Amino acid sequence: MSGSNYIKFSGHQFITQRLVLSTLTGKPIKIDKIRSEEDNPGLQEHEAAFLHLLEQVTNGSSFDINYSGTSLIYKPGIISGGKINFDCGNSRAIGYFLEPLIVLAPFAKNPINITLHGITNDNLDTSVDLIRTVLLPQLKRFGIESGIELKIVKRGAPPNGGGEVKFNCPIVKQLKPVQYIDEGKIKRIRGIAYATRVSPQMANRVTEVARSQLTHYIPDVYIYTDVYKGAESGNSPGYGLSLVAETTTGALLSAECCFEKQTSNENNESEKPVIFNFETPEDLGKQALKYLLTEIRKGGSVDTLSQWINIILMVLTPEDVSKIRISKLTKVSIQLLRDIRSFFGITYKIKPDPENQTVLLTCVGSGFTNTNKKFT
Amino acid sequence: MEEQPRKPHRAKQAGPKAEKKQRKNSEKNNPKAFALNSGVKAFKNAMRNADIEQKRLHVPLVDRTPDEAPPTMVAVVGPPGCGKTTLIRSLVKRYTKYNLNEIKGPITVVSGKKKRLTFMECANDINSMIDIAKVADLVLLLIDADFGFEMETFEFLNILQVHGFPKIMGVLTHLDKFKNNKKLRNTKKQLKHRFWTEIYQGAKLFYLSGIINGKYPKNEVMNLSRFISVMKFRPLIWRNTHPYVLCDRAEDLTDPELIHKNPKCDRDVTLYGYMRGTNLKPNMKVHIPGSGDHWISDISLLPDPCPLPDKVKKSLNDKQKLIYAPMSDVGGILYDKDAVYINVTGNFNKDNNDEEKTEGEKLVIDLQDAQDTLADKIEKSELQLFKNSAPLKATDLKTLSGKDVSYTEEIDENGNIRRKAVFGDENEDEESDEDDENEENEEDEEDEEDDDDEEDDEDEEDEDEEMEDEDSSSKRRRRKAFEKYDNEEQNDEDIAFAESDSDLGDEDEDDDDENGELNWKIGMAERAAANFKDVKRKKNLMQIVYDGTDSEEEESESEEEDNGDDDELFVKVKPQKKVSKDIMDTSKLIVLNDELEDWSDEDMIESLRYRFITGDGNNKNNNEGGDDEEVYGDFEDLETGEVVKGENGEEGNDNENENEEGDDGLTEEERLARKKEELKKKFDAEYDGEEEENDNFYEEIKSGINKQLELNRAEFEEDDPETRAKIEGYRPGQYVRILIKNLPCEFIEHFDPTYPVIIGGLLSTEEAFGFIQVRIKRHRWHQKILKTNDPLIFSLGWRRFQSIPIYSLNIDGTRNRMLKYTPEHMHCLAQFYGPITQPNTGFCAFRSMTETTQAFRIAATGVVLDINQSTEIVKKLKLTGVPFKIFKNTAFIRNMFNSSLEVAKFEGVAIRTVSGIRGQIKKHLPKPDGAFRATFEDKILMSDIVFLRAWYPVRPKKFYNPVTSLLLSEKTSWQGMKTVSEIRRLNKLPIPMNPDSSYKTIVRPTRRFNPLKIPKALQQELPFASKPKVLKKQKKPSLMARRAVVLEPKEKKIYTLMQQINTLKHEKDKKRKLKTQERKEVYLKKQAKEEKIKEEKQSKKRKEIYRAEGKKRAREEAGDSGRYKKRH
Repeated sequence: MSGSNYIKFSGHQFITQRLVLSTLTGKPIKIDKIRSEEDNPGLQEHEAAFLHLLEQVTNGSSFDINYSGTSLIYKPGIISGGKINFDCGNSRAIGYFLEPLIVLAPFAKNPINITLHGITNDNLDTSVDLIRTVLLPQLKRFGIESGIELKIVKRGAPPNGGGEVKFNCPIVKQLKPVQYIDEGKIKRIRGIAYATRVSPQMANRVTEVARSQLTHYIPDVYIYTDVYKGAESGNSPGYGLSLVAETTTGALLSAECCFEKQTSNENNESEKPVIFNFETPEDLGKQALKYLLTEIRKGGSVDTLSQWINIILMVLTPEDVSKIRISKLTKVSIQLLRDIRSFFGITYKIKPDPENQTVLLTCVGSGFTNTNKKFT
Repeated sequence: MEEQPRKPHRAKQAGPKAEKKQRKNSEKNNPKAFALNSGVKAFKNAMRNADIEQKRLHVPLVDRTPDEAPPTMVAVVGPPGCGKTTLIRSLVKRYTKYNLNEIKGPITVVSGKKKRLTFMECANDINSMIDIAKVADLVLLLIDADFGFEMETFEFLNILQVHGFPKIMGVLTHLDKFKNNKKLRNTKKQLKHRFWTEIYQGAKLFYLSGIINGKYPKNEVMNLSRFISVMKFRPLIWRNTHPYVLCDRAEDLTDPELIHKNPKCDRDVTLYGYMRGTNLKPNMKVHIPGSGDHWISDISLLPDPCPLPDKVKKSLNDKQKLIYAPMSDVGGILYDKDAVYINVTGNFNKDNNDEEKTEGEKLVIDLQDAQDTLADKIEKSELQLFKNSAPLKATDLKTLSGKDVSYTEEIDENGNIRRKAVFGDENEDEESDEDDENEENEEDEEDEEDDDDEEDDEDEEDEDEEMEDEDSSSKRRRRKAFEKYDNEEQNDEDIAFAESDSDLGDEDEDDDDENGELNWKIGMAERAAANFKDVKRKKNLMQIVYDGTDSEEEESESEEEDNGDDDELFVKVKPQKKVSKDIMDTSKLIVLNDELEDWSDEDMIESLRYRFITGDGNNKNNNEGGDDEEVYGDFEDLETGEVVKGENGEEGNDNENENEEGDDGLTEEERLARKKEELKKKFDAEYDGEEEENDNFYEEIKSGINKQLELNRAEFEEDDPETRAKIEGYRPGQYVRILIKNLPCEFIEHFDPTYPVIIGGLLSTEEAFGFIQVRIKRHRWHQKILKTNDPLIFSLGWRRFQSIPIYSLNIDGTRNRMLKYTPEHMHCLAQFYGPITQPNTGFCAFRSMTETTQAFRIAATGVVLDINQSTEIVKKLKLTGVPFKIFKNTAFIRNMFNSSLEVAKFEGVAIRTVSGIRGQIKKHLPKPDGAFRATFEDKILMSDIVFLRAWYPVRPKKFYNPVTSLLLSEKTSWQGMKTVSEIRRLNKLPIPMNPDSSYKTIVRPTRRFNPLKIPKALQQELPFASKPKVLKKQKKPSLMARRAVVLEPKEKKIYTLMQQINTLKHEKDKKRKLKTQERKEVYLKKQAKEEKIKEEKQSKKRKEIYRAEGKKRAREEAGDSGRYKKRH
């Protein structure tokens, strides 16, 4: 019995969420067949970097990676937090590292105070703007209220990054259950258009397009232009737009898009697909707008971007019912639900609401408390 | 129990009481006369009231006991021979009229309309005392008044205190032993007050006088039972966060063949009991105290063996007074390890029904009653597909078997025509087995019908679809979540959805139209409406998510993609770059450009307006359909009016239907009322809400908790038990059967029902191990202080385990310094390796679990402070060195380090000499190895020892040894790791001594200093004050010594007189002393005499007591073998 204590997984996908769940529950995991069939087998740079980050955030966790890097045994320790400085590298954006960290941080022993270096915005991972404006405000519903802060010190556009963000998070004893099914109506739209190492005009042009369309719906549209110069501007040029629609009930629906350079180096191309091709900043603005409108159409009190964080946090509440409304389950969320079942033994009640084509997610919390927090 | 008719109360007509009453009335009648006239008094009064109000408040806790609560666990605890068994017997007799013969394991009885009790006797063993303390809701603490308090009682109270302190009622027994009434009174009072100091002032203490017919007096037991029934319980934190089961039955399910082959093989055991605490999640890890950690292999719900009565008028009748005690011999049934024995008295006949039968007899009769064979039963089996339909008999099927599938029509009460699908090709047996499933499927099908009905009104082909669905309904699972999602990629029959009919229509080839009748479609919309909120619907999506294997993962993907285009207007383009998406592992949903809808279209843009506050209407549907048109009707007409309108109109219809279903229950009035209520709430919140919040913080929190509980209760009310169990887990109050695989064989072999078997659920975080930091205090009654690195047995959470603590004290707020021993009267810290338990959990510790000591066994108590994977305990380390070369303030030091590398690590560190001169390490020297240069604040001496104060980390040993007392044949004799001193004592080894450590008297030669000599030349130059003034010794006696003293006559007189007086006084004193001595001697003689008499008396008395005690013990040993020996 003791030998099979590991929860087993295979494949490189969803590795961060599994590591996060393992760290939260303290259950060791074994992941094998990590790209075992591919030309470039084993853990990749960003995954290894994430393991390093976990090692810094936790105390007493051990990683056992085999020679080829295709299998990983992770025995989690406790989340210790504290002051950390971490370089994420340029293989993935900061969002890849920061998102899992947001879930871990409230349950650390000491309030976390981390500085991350790397790419702040790209199209693959959630940008730090949206993490700041969409993910973090949602933690308030779970009772993580004061002291949570994300500061973007430097912008770092792909491919060379050079951005820097500072993330502070307080610790909590226990989360609060949420009942959040009222999606409300959109009352205001905010956005951030950033430009770094390019002409500030780019940001203005992006803003122009988005605003002109959105004011058609609602007058309260404000898009900040955030231009970085000099030391704050990172290593590569780039610009982008993130849009957040806030409803009367406080639901945040978001979308973003950022400029990508077409010609990246060769080996990167297979891993990091170039998804968009923008000729002009106007195109980018339109694209972001499209995303936002699609998101708005889909509805739900929790948008696609923040599904997974809500799903994890709901499980970590006391043994009370939590309920949210989402638009549709993404693949990540589905796998997350399955993983949650294998880690926590908790099954969600998933009920489609045919009235507005949304899905109601209900669960009973696991009674999770922050055992790391000291008792005085 | 018969209540004697009571005398009616007669109010006093005269006398002081009557007067008092009158006075009161006058106060009422003339309030002005009694108005307060002292402000101070009024203030004090108000203060007092406020105090009382505040005292009443407790920290609001969430009470998670469900409506149908599990039986209250009443533990009967006390030292042996104080009447525990008698009390349980009396109480059981009181509740159920049943005479218990033996008491083994928990006994559950129905005690009231909504209340059940589980009695459990606690054996006189520290292990079972600990376990019982963790699960008891109410403790009946029996005290032998004749003997007084025993150690066990206090030990148990202390165990209770650290594990949450449930409610306690004291019960004094053996009160009939007192012949002297006054003595009885005094003892009662004494015991009561001692009891109160231990629990709280005014704790309830019961007195049970004597034993009548082997039971306590009826009215006293009844009184006790009343107190039990009105007892209120405050939720305890540990139990309010953990599920647990007190097992009342255990069965060994191992294959007998395996046991035969290997009697020591691991066993599969099922344990039965009521769920308590919180919800038990299906794949939770559990801890069985006394056995260890185990995984639950299977849980199943069982019907409640001791259910609460359904309908009770006023009091329970005899049939409702149930008792359930599977391990005790109740109802003629004895559940043994592997069999059920049924006791039958004499011979019985099932026909004479007038006699009352025991449960066991009924079981046997039921067995005899089986007349039909299995085949017959199958013949007779019925299947009812719909609520209102006539049951379908298995025999009917034979007639239909010619046809593959057919359906019959029925008109139900509502006038709806319902189709009844008859499965001709299905196996009969299967059907009778799986009728439930079929029913489910039926319902599912109906849902599907609902989904598409509106669209396919004109379409006939869908009927085929329906038939097809029916065909495959038993094979496949339903996956669809929403209506109108088409699934283009998978067009196999197996997953062909009815809703994708428009696509599938052409490809249909399996089934031909059996008839073109569309009658059944009439009223379909209504049915759809009725079924819309069907519970089964949600299963679809849940199944997709949770029953998904690899193949289904893809399905869900496609499904998820399908969800995106919820409008037929937009044509979906198949994603072609899917591969790239799969490769990337990101939480962000990447939607490719071509998957997006075309937002350049004006209508498209407009159709979204309802999601903004600028768009009006209540919900989406209205907007899409009617309202939108109202607002922007003109605009649309101009441009693409017709097309859009048409589609919108259609949609509107759909949505209206949905609407009806959605808000069906509400009439216009209700809606208005609701609106008003909401408005009022808003108003209240705005105007007087804030004040209230500040005023009554307590009430606010309380209402918040209640609201959440209400939500919890309401959320899953409509779900079926299986889904509930899946989502919620097994709720407290349910009777469950828990299968645990691979339990050690000793668990079954040495199973003793008198020892409690508890299944304690562990939270997901509690499975891991780590270093636990606790605040600990040696119990003030424990005789020894505790030593670091001596193993100690902890009772923490559910677990009892042995571990090795290291004691420490936080000295200056920065470091934890190791202590060799616990402080005598102070808290200290301890760290040990053990299972991670939430901080703020209490624990108690023992040195050993065996009963060899008469002293107080609880060694320490404390609370968990912190969990970590590393420890920070340090002990002091002093490195010493000696100077070998001294310059001014610099010196070269050696013998402190062994290499220059070591020195490098300590560069800049402060050092000190014994004499207190401070310094700093500067740099290593090339030669000799390990020597270094150091500077000091002053010049040091060669004789000085230089030392460096450092801290050395100490790590607790990773030792965790669960107390496996349940696996022993002799439960009390668990032996864990021994302490070093015990091993030394056993092996007669001397304590090793470092000769350097022993203290020796320090012999210091007295230092001699040479006299100070100042050269004469120098002396002359000195000022006078500084010149040495050494005088020569006087050779001649001085004048004072030489002179003779001659007294004056008067002086002489005085001198003589004084001498005389003194002589007299001395003489007197001498005489007095002699006299006192004489007197004292006489007194002592007398005293000795008295002492002797007293001693004789006492020894006589002692002899008597011991004789009586010896007799009593002999009687006990000879008599009841089930009793436990009293400890000595």
